Amino acid sequence: MYGKGIAKGLWVTLKHLWGTYAKDIKKFPRRYAPGGIAKRPDYDLYGIFTLQYPEERYTMFPRFRGALMHLRNPETGEPNCTACGACERACPHGVISVEGEGKGKDRKVTAYRYDLGRCIFCRLCVESCNFNAIEMSHEYELARYKKDFILQLDDLLKIGDKYGIHKTGEAWGVTE
Amino acid sequence: MQVLDDLWIRIAQWLRGVFDSFLPPWAAQLVMDVLGILLLIVWGIVVVLAFTYMERKVIARVGDRIGPNRAGPLGIFQAFADAIKMLTKEDVTPTNADRALFLAAPIVIIIPAVLLYAVLPFGRGMVGVDLSIAVVFVVAMGGIPILTMLMAGWASNNKYALLGGFRTVAQLISYEVPMVVALLTVVLLAGTMSTVGIVEAQATFPFALVTPVAFVVYMLAGLAELNRTPFDLLEADSEIVAGYFIEYSGMKFAMFFLAEYINLFMVAGMITTLFLAGWQWPILPSWLWFLIKVIVVIFLMMWIRSTIPRFRIDQMLGFAWKALVPLALVNLFVVALVAKLLEPGWARTGVLFVSNLALLAAVGFIMARQSRKREEQARAAGEAAIRRYYGSPIR
Repeated sequence: MYGKGIAKGLWVTLKHLWGTYAKDIKKFPRRYAPGGIAKRPDYDLYGIFTLQYPEERYTMFPRFRGALMHLRNPETGEPNCTACGACERACPHGVISVEGEGKGKDRKVTAYRYDLGRCIFCRLCVESCNFNAIEMSHEYELARYKKDFILQLDDLLKIGDKYGIHKTGEAWGVTE
Repeated sequence: MQVLDDLWIRIAQWLRGVFDSFLPPWAAQLVMDVLGILLLIVWGIVVVLAFTYMERKVIARVGDRIGPNRAGPLGIFQAFADAIKMLTKEDVTPTNADRALFLAAPIVIIIPAVLLYAVLPFGRGMVGVDLSIAVVFVVAMGGIPILTMLMAGWASNNKYALLGGFRTVAQLISYEVPMVVALLTVVLLAGTMSTVGIVEAQATFPFALVTPVAFVVYMLAGLAELNRTPFDLLEADSEIVAGYFIEYSGMKFAMFFLAEYINLFMVAGMITTLFLAGWQWPILPSWLWFLIKVIVVIFLMMWIRSTIPRFRIDQMLGFAWKALVPLALVNLFVVALVAKLLEPGWARTGVLFVSNLALLAAVGFIMARQSRKREEQARAAGEAAIRRYYGSPIR
């Protein structure tokens, strides 16, 4: 009989149409998964399984390398950074520039410029750091309206405060 | 219930009373007519806003997406956002375009689209004008957009637009024929050409049950008249970019878009009127029944659009001339014969229903055999070519 294939195709599309609504009803009061979601939604055959981006975001895996952040000393609340300049020398692109004042144990960071626009997220700066002062965050929505991508010390500390860690590698589960 | 049923008529009567109180009768009548015309035009725009949203949602859901969800709650203001975007776009006229025709086409295309609403019965007693030849009026007005699309395609000075215009003429004139024959079947059964009369003739049985063949033929031809997938050859993006309206932008393009959706509602309304008993059926108010049926028909069209890919042009024209036209003609003959022999009633409806189903099955059988034969011929030709090249068939 002619048209059997068409009827079959119509049935498939109808099932997909209904499947998306069935999933909506199942989740009823809340349409989108709240907060971050750890992995891709199950792509069972029916229902909407794409990530609804601005409402839903993936939680990044622990070793994800996003924008740089500065960590604080949990007791004093001061930045861990001693402005030794190791990260500045390690950086292959010259993205980082550090300024500090004081000598020996009293040495403090006064200015830290991080040029996000040129960073390649290689993490060599973090590996060179001996003071648990910097770490890569999970920030990945880094688009800006202007070319001015330079983050200052305060911005970096603000990102660090969001993650609540005080040691390099803590987010990975590495304690030493 | 009675109050709800008469709601719009009562509002009209009340308004008439208000105008009668301070205007002479002819002026009151004039004001009422102008109001009615304005109402139909505004209804056309409401239809466009509502059904673009519905179409995008349905197609998105079929594709496992959500569809527009940014503008307003659930994206219900998406159509307004699109309208604002259209209004603010640059208006381009191509060099060497036939300026007068180019400007006239978008205006001319929307006039017959809105004019058609005049004969559409929206509910019991809710019709713009009860023409005694409404069906002929619909067919005549449905012919004007063909000319307009050719106008647009010719005036654009663009080869894709011109190709789109040619395809328009070929497609729409081909599909006009089975459409008119299907209409004729309904007119034969109802014994009248007035849309109101046709609706009233379906008090016991909707004509979709009496002649399913005419329903199917009219539905397919209607899809083709609306240039909707699978019959959107004349605006096939992968072949001729956009068809006849390729050079139009901004509000001029929006006019074509408006006409398309106004026609969508009109064709769905005609299917409802001719085959699904229009505003009849119990319990709910008549205008609500009409709206529900139209929305169901439009959903059916969107469902078909999101399922079936585009035809090839020769297949499409072949389908019209080799399948739909003979089917509609045979059906017209059968219906005329049965309607002459039997009195209206259960017996006639039963005989017509069964004979129509048999007709559909026969056509399906013949077409299946044809396509199988074509397939075998193609396979045999392929094997022959291989044999010529290699000397023996490939294992």
